[in-house]
Amino acid sequence: MVVGDVSTGTELAIIGAGPGGYVAAIRAGQLGIDVTLIEKDAWGGTCLNYGCIPSKALITATDVGHEADTATEMGIHADVKVDVEQMTSWKDGVVDQLTSGVEKLCKANGVNLVEGTAEFAGNGKLRVAHGGQGQGSETIEYENAIIATGSRAIQIPGFEYDSEYVLSSRDVLDLDSIPESLVVVGGGYIGMELSTVLAKMGCDVTVVEMLDDILPGYEDDVKRVVRKRAEDLGIDFRFGESASEWEERGDDIVVTTENADGESFEYATDKVFVAVGRQPVLDTLNLDAIDLEPNDDGRLETDHTGETDVDGVYAIGDVAPGPMLAHKASKEGQVVAEVVAGKPSALDYQAVPAAVFTDPEIGTVGLTEAEAEEEGFTPVVGKFPMSASGRALTTGHSDGFVRIVADEDSGFVLGAQIVGPEASELIAELGLAIEMGATLEDIAATIHTHPTLSEGVMEAAENALGHAIHTLNR
Amino acid sequence: MPTEFKLPDVGEGVAEGEIVAWLVEEGDTVTEDQPVAEVETDKAVVEVPSPYNGTVRELHYDEGDVVPVGSVIVTFDVEGEEVEEPDVEPEETEDEAEAEPEAPESGGRTFAPPSVRRLARELDVDLATVSGSGPSGRITEGDVRAAAEGEAEEAEAEAEEAPKQAVSKVEEESVSAEPQEAAGREKTLAAPATRRVAEELGVDLNDVPAAEERDGEAFVDESAVRAYAESQQAAQAADAAAVQAGESGESGAREERVPYRGVRRTIGKQMEKSKYTAPHVTHHDTAVVDALADVREKLKPVAEDQGFRLTYMPFIVKAVVAGLKQHPYLNSQLDEENEEVVLKNYYNIGIAVATDAGLMVPVIENADEKSIPEIADEMRDLIERARERSISREEMQGGTFTLTNFGAIGGEYATPIINYPETAILGLGALEERPVAEDGDVVAKETLPLSLSIDHRVIDGAVAAEFANTVQEYLENPSMLLLE
Amino acid sequence: MSENLTLVQAVRDGLHDAMAADDDVIALGEDIGKNGGVFRATQGLHEEFGDDRVIDTPLAESGIIGTAVGMAAYGLKPVPEIQFSGFMYPGFDQIVSHMSRMRTRSRGRFTLPMVLRAPYGGGIRAPEHHSESKEAFYTHEAGLKVVVPSTPYDTKGLLISAIRDPDPVVFLEPKKIYRSFREEVPDEDYEVPLGEASIRREGSDVSVFTWGAMTRPTLEAAENLEGEIDVEVVDLRTLDPMDEETIVESFEKTGRAAVVHEAPQTGGLAGEIAATLQEHSLLYQEAPVERITGFDTPFPLYALEDFYLPEAERISDGLREVMAF
Repeated sequence: MVVGDVSTGTELAIIGAGPGGYVAAIRAGQLGIDVTLIEKDAWGGTCLNYGCIPSKALITATDVGHEADTATEMGIHADVKVDVEQMTSWKDGVVDQLTSGVEKLCKANGVNLVEGTAEFAGNGKLRVAHGGQGQGSETIEYENAIIATGSRAIQIPGFEYDSEYVLSSRDVLDLDSIPESLVVVGGGYIGMELSTVLAKMGCDVTVVEMLDDILPGYEDDVKRVVRKRAEDLGIDFRFGESASEWEERGDDIVVTTENADGESFEYATDKVFVAVGRQPVLDTLNLDAIDLEPNDDGRLETDHTGETDVDGVYAIGDVAPGPMLAHKASKEGQVVAEVVAGKPSALDYQAVPAAVFTDPEIGTVGLTEAEAEEEGFTPVVGKFPMSASGRALTTGHSDGFVRIVADEDSGFVLGAQIVGPEASELIAELGLAIEMGATLEDIAATIHTHPTLSEGVMEAAENALGHAIHTLNR
Repeated sequence: MPTEFKLPDVGEGVAEGEIVAWLVEEGDTVTEDQPVAEVETDKAVVEVPSPYNGTVRELHYDEGDVVPVGSVIVTFDVEGEEVEEPDVEPEETEDEAEAEPEAPESGGRTFAPPSVRRLARELDVDLATVSGSGPSGRITEGDVRAAAEGEAEEAEAEAEEAPKQAVSKVEEESVSAEPQEAAGREKTLAAPATRRVAEELGVDLNDVPAAEERDGEAFVDESAVRAYAESQQAAQAADAAAVQAGESGESGAREERVPYRGVRRTIGKQMEKSKYTAPHVTHHDTAVVDALADVREKLKPVAEDQGFRLTYMPFIVKAVVAGLKQHPYLNSQLDEENEEVVLKNYYNIGIAVATDAGLMVPVIENADEKSIPEIADEMRDLIERARERSISREEMQGGTFTLTNFGAIGGEYATPIINYPETAILGLGALEERPVAEDGDVVAKETLPLSLSIDHRVIDGAVAAEFANTVQEYLENPSMLLLE
Repeated sequence: MSENLTLVQAVRDGLHDAMAADDDVIALGEDIGKNGGVFRATQGLHEEFGDDRVIDTPLAESGIIGTAVGMAAYGLKPVPEIQFSGFMYPGFDQIVSHMSRMRTRSRGRFTLPMVLRAPYGGGIRAPEHHSESKEAFYTHEAGLKVVVPSTPYDTKGLLISAIRDPDPVVFLEPKKIYRSFREEVPDEDYEVPLGEASIRREGSDVSVFTWGAMTRPTLEAAENLEGEIDVEVVDLRTLDPMDEETIVESFEKTGRAAVVHEAPQTGGLAGEIAATLQEHSLLYQEAPVERITGFDTPFPLYALEDFYLPEAERISDGLREVMAF
């Protein structure tokens, strides 16, 4: 703008075009709201560009290679060569397809797309700085706003990302060659998924974890299956150690860790990948301008419609309380869009499923047995080992189990934990059961296709009811 | 727990009361002593207080019902121990690093499919209050719809009551349009639009009564013009109708039925009792009260300075008390049961007051001990409160003698009925100039006609006459009151 | 088919459709060609219609307007743009000495089917000469039509009507609301007639006459007063010739009036409207006409801009005054 500041008005301004933001934008567009979606980096956010999608692409690619390489028992003899650059560029292609898909969907639904970094400039006003050519910055006046700025990886002091030796997950997904060895600091789901990918490509992986086991929040018997398999793949685990410093030594680096007793250990490695958690991005928004403050956990408090303490300002996804999961963000985005459109929508989901794409996969939803007891239910549990699944045996992967937790009196399904092949897909059925208020009987009575892994779900339900066919009932 | 509340005994010998107004509604919270109803008994309207702290569970009668004393009129829920609710802890959402498998909860689990939850939101139904008819208590669409209808019915019932109350209010506020007189000014200010309206209605702006002045001149607005025009029309129409009615002899409905209840009925019963118990004899006389009139004239401004309005009544009360002191049998009561005449040594003078609901007689206690200003003030206060119906029963009891000043409205002589269980009553005619014979001439003098009715079982005509003479003496020689 | 457009996009769309329909329509002005206009009002037109029909001029307002007068006299339909209405003064002579007089001067032999476009009005935090509202200068000049749209739909239709009008039109675009909101604007070529006001909101207690960027705060005030005062809002759209019929009809219905405009009070069009109303409808009048306007000072710099421009609260207060008389 040459002189002055002609502001653009909009009904709904969404900051951040990740799975929360862009979904909210499309839904809002569908409902006829004049919506403006502002993104500073790439459409689709972290999930599409640097997270879920690229990681799953690489997981699949490496799986294909690894499977082919280890299927001699089945009579497959392959000589697998991995072209990492090509794999990365194929992964990029998938990502591009999806991000341009997001752009197209947004435009098709009448969403106004603005590239730039937004911050609040007072009630009802955003200031958006455009990175490149054209107008330097503009003012957007909004009636409603959604903060969907997502999260960024936490950096450990002393281990600032440099994309050369100290890698973030983004760097790991963008490698042009596989390092010979890698120290992974953090045994959570990101660390575990990418460790598996690299191990399957021949990297010598050591996972250093501060707690005494991987994957906090999951039950022991679930974790055990994954950890054992990881060990079989050659991944070393060092528990109870936290990374304290690193330094270059010749061509390599040395990472020093400490345990609770004060002992320190050194690991020589090519690079170190730090994945110790993520924190919400709120510091770039100038929230002071609208008198909004994060809570002690660094998130923005919201009510059942996703609204923050400031009228008309909503928060979804990783900046709002709850698990940092893309599908939770998308659900919140949809609900907020509907609320802004005046519909009686609310965040009343009964359970959010979660998946870990390790080998084998983990899929969980709802309550564990212990949690069910804490809530005052009398839990009854049904289990089905993958080793009893015909289909699992035919895939050559039969580690793991399906467990369903239900309320003994009513039979209502309260939760489920699945470890094994396709756990991430299988868990959807249990999510539906919980939302519907279905009972064990409902699942057991539904015919499940044979031979599939999903039969395991049915059998687990039958087991809880005491009449499973392919396992012994307790 | 529900506790019944019966209509208490609100006055001596009162067997029933009419519920004039409920002051609370079902569901209201009440505190001890908070009035819950207005009940009319005898000649007073009494407020009935709640004996408990609690909530109104049920009102058993409608306004207007006549309820025997001792009937249950209200059921309360009395505050007792509160029922303890089972502890439902909302699940905490812990923010632990990455994949948190716990479901975010807003307190309590609902077993209802998402589509049913959405329906509940749309119909504004709180799922926590719905009991599910599905397997294991699962909430179905039907359950939600049924709950929504149930709430709608309740809301309808409430809505029906509201208009009833509104209607009765409107009826109370009927405004009477009195015909307005033409103002006949020479100049009137008005907005141009008002002038046009006046022209259209054929109204001369200078005739419209002006309530306002602008710039030192009378100013009228459109509503004043319209009101004046209407009143002119109404007056003309009324005239025409009267003429027509006179001509045709028709007057709408032939009969109208008015309920004989409450105060009216009570008065009726009292009058009946008095007249049919005591053989009434009325003695008439006329006091020539020029002197009294002079005194009052002189004292009127003094009274105004002192802040009260001086009528003849206080003087008359004093004169009557003087008379009663000298003729105690007129300040008495016949106790037939014990066969005794009770002569009273205290002087509680009742003043008959005409109110909208009928005749009421507030009492000035110990009138002998009170000064004229005190009597004047008390009289004003009692009369005002009697007319407002805010006077209490007690203030209308315990009289020993009654004065009835029908002369304030007009008239000369009457035959007043004694205020049972007193034995005498003095009626006062209009105090005005009348021809009086004096020394062979007929002159105009201020006169006050007196009508004294007595219970002939206790008082003879001669005694009555003597009393009347005494009172007259004081009235005609007001300086004698200084000695009382 | 239609699209949700902002007001400035509707300007572009209207200009585009008019140019597509008639080769005689020429756009000229500073930075309107290759740059697409500093407000993007002419974006893409140069690519589509070329150098001959979308002309980048030197920085010379007098020249721009004078050239347009000449082009129009010759039978073309020029649409000159003055980048900010505050820059029209160097070209004022061309406007009042020639643009407005060609028809009368030539006794009808020449008319000037031209539209002088300029963004006008305050509210964009701009320095001097970028915020004033001087429509009264042009309504006072007989021989000119003056049009001020307030919505995207009206903008396109009025611009096309103005371009097709045989006489010169000063088309003032309220730049504060250039991008404030979107509205459905039909894709095809359509006209909104000049000289017709639009009743934006019906009411029975008081008539408010306004235009341009002031229409939105006036409607906001009317909304806020709902339940208290029943406000009728009339958007004049064309200031000259003014739609007297609609104005008078509204006033005779309500009996009370207010005028809201950004321009300073003295000499502003509120006075003109008040005079018109009392001329036609004196006997209907129940209160003096309230003028809710900018103050009689030069337009302030942006720190004080918000105090100068009438907004919903000031308008509401003014309406309460009218009703209280």
